[in-house]
Amino acid sequence: MKKILIFLGAIFILFMGCNRENDRTNDSEKIRIALVLKTLNSPFFIDLKSGAEQAAKQLNVELIVQAPEREIDVEKQMQIIENLIQTRVDAICVSPSGSKELIPAMAKANQANIPVLIVDTRIDENIANSEGVTTTTFIGSDNYQGGKIAGEYVAKLSQGEMNVVILEGIPGHETGDNRLRGFKESIEKFPNIHVVASQPANWERDQGYNVMQNLLQAHPDIDAVFACNDLMALGAMEAIIAGGKSEKIKIIGFDAVEEARNEITTGNLEASVAQHPAEMGRLAIENAVKVLNGEKIPTFIPVKIELITRQTSEENLR
Amino acid sequence: MIPKALIHHGRQLGTFLGLIFLCLILWILTPYFLTVSNLLNILEQSSINATIAVGMTFVIITAGIDLSVGSILAFSGVVLASTLQAGVPLPVALLAGMLTGTLCGLLNGALISIGRLPPFIVTLGMMSIARGAALVYTNGRPISGFEQSFRWIATGKIFYIPMPLIVMFIVYFIAHIVLTRTKFGQYAYAMGGNEEATYLSGVNVRFHKTMVYALCGLTSAFAAILLTARLNSAQPIAGIMYELDAIAATVIGGTSLMGGEGTLVGTLIGALIMGVLRNGLNILGVSSFLQQIIIGTVIIIAVLLDTIMKKQKR
Repeated sequence: MKKILIFLGAIFILFMGCNRENDRTNDSEKIRIALVLKTLNSPFFIDLKSGAEQAAKQLNVELIVQAPEREIDVEKQMQIIENLIQTRVDAICVSPSGSKELIPAMAKANQANIPVLIVDTRIDENIANSEGVTTTTFIGSDNYQGGKIAGEYVAKLSQGEMNVVILEGIPGHETGDNRLRGFKESIEKFPNIHVVASQPANWERDQGYNVMQNLLQAHPDIDAVFACNDLMALGAMEAIIAGGKSEKIKIIGFDAVEEARNEITTGNLEASVAQHPAEMGRLAIENAVKVLNGEKIPTFIPVKIELITRQTSEENLR
Repeated sequence: MIPKALIHHGRQLGTFLGLIFLCLILWILTPYFLTVSNLLNILEQSSINATIAVGMTFVIITAGIDLSVGSILAFSGVVLASTLQAGVPLPVALLAGMLTGTLCGLLNGALISIGRLPPFIVTLGMMSIARGAALVYTNGRPISGFEQSFRWIATGKIFYIPMPLIVMFIVYFIAHIVLTRTKFGQYAYAMGGNEEATYLSGVNVRFHKTMVYALCGLTSAFAAILLTARLNSAQPIAGIMYELDAIAATVIGGTSLMGGEGTLVGTLIGALIMGVLRNGLNILGVSSFLQQIIIGTVIIIAVLLDTIMKKQKR
């Protein structure tokens, strides 16, 4: 009897909910744009967020920023997109944590007629096409390209034989894989550059330190380190300083976070690949508004990617 | 006087009232929450965690713990995905995935019951082993793109009801029967209540305990099927920290970490509370950092209330 009552109660509430749908009014004429990021605990995405917030303020747009707790949690990101579709946002800007895995979520946004703008990380075009998923644009720079720039820089540094070690991100994580691929493919052309080790340090600073310490034991003749992000580069830097090898080993990081930039000016780090996340955030919101106003926007909006070295940062200061 | 039935179902009812209370708050706060499409959305989103939590409930009832469910999910998922892509018939691929999960669980169980090692340590080890196996097996790359017949498990609907829900309810229905109506279920409670006494009364504790962990591996594999179909991709890094969500759902649902008590109905409600909470916080646009504080607080309050209710009963 009690179970039946509970069941009826649940049904009753459900129907009340349905009625509630009708008194949903457009209480504000403001455009609502959602920005779904991979995570909010990395400086990169915090910059992206603040760029978007500034643009939203200028354009008088309501901005909702959400992200899963962990960068690799594609399923949570999908849930967030599904939930935002339920609140009928006008547009969704998303930095997908999986280039293939988020396509079903985008299909749902398509069904709800909500335009999707891709920021920072590309989705797999082939799968998107075969699933009939359409996105309006990609705003960002290429991680593969960034890895390539770093590789070319290492090649330029080389005089004679050169031993390089690579610190990878979490294995199987696309951002890291692309950076790694770009780097490896660009140094492959140079027979004098040897990759003596390529080990994961899982994006983390302390692991960058430990892995680097181990690698220093195994390979006493390292000339350069490429870390797929700055946190690992900074960890490796500490290990190298502790090992008394900072004169010899050049470290190249990725992301050019503030701390890395400081270390570049002091000379502890050699270089870091800089993307411009705040710019991405700004462009995302501006273009979302354009799409909603019926304007046509290009399918690829490039954001510059460059290598920050001591030289370039001194030039910037002047 | 409290009616007898209320005492009997007191714990489940408490959790259920908690769920209703949560829904009411969200209903007041936002018009987007209580709609049919959003409720189906929540159920669908909760289905994966809820399915893992079935096995977790069995394990915790025996006073054990399984930290390896997320890794087993990833490993079963990539085995399933690779067999699917090799072109074998769908049922065979599903079986391969389920077998992978069950074998991992079996190994857990054997080490715990026959090797007499603490469940925490064994499953901690398996957490690393199964994750590594998934990475080795795939070379670190996700396996994506499956046929519609498989995708249907996540995208299909029967009478407007999404398939993941149907799968979840079937798993719960069968598991509930097993837990409440079979000797296997009774032994699970008995082992958790007093393992020594259970052994002395002639129950093959080793065998049944091993089977409980195998079952937990199997439900992780079920979750892997749902997740892979949902994302149209199997990632070797899928399911990281899923064990914590499953443990939370189980504990919120009134299963005692000391073993010997707990119900699957409670666990299902626990998983729904987690799902509703995440959904509601997204809809309200609460900052992701605050969300973590709120979710943590709710877990603690839920268990606190449960403990208080239990004390009052005695």
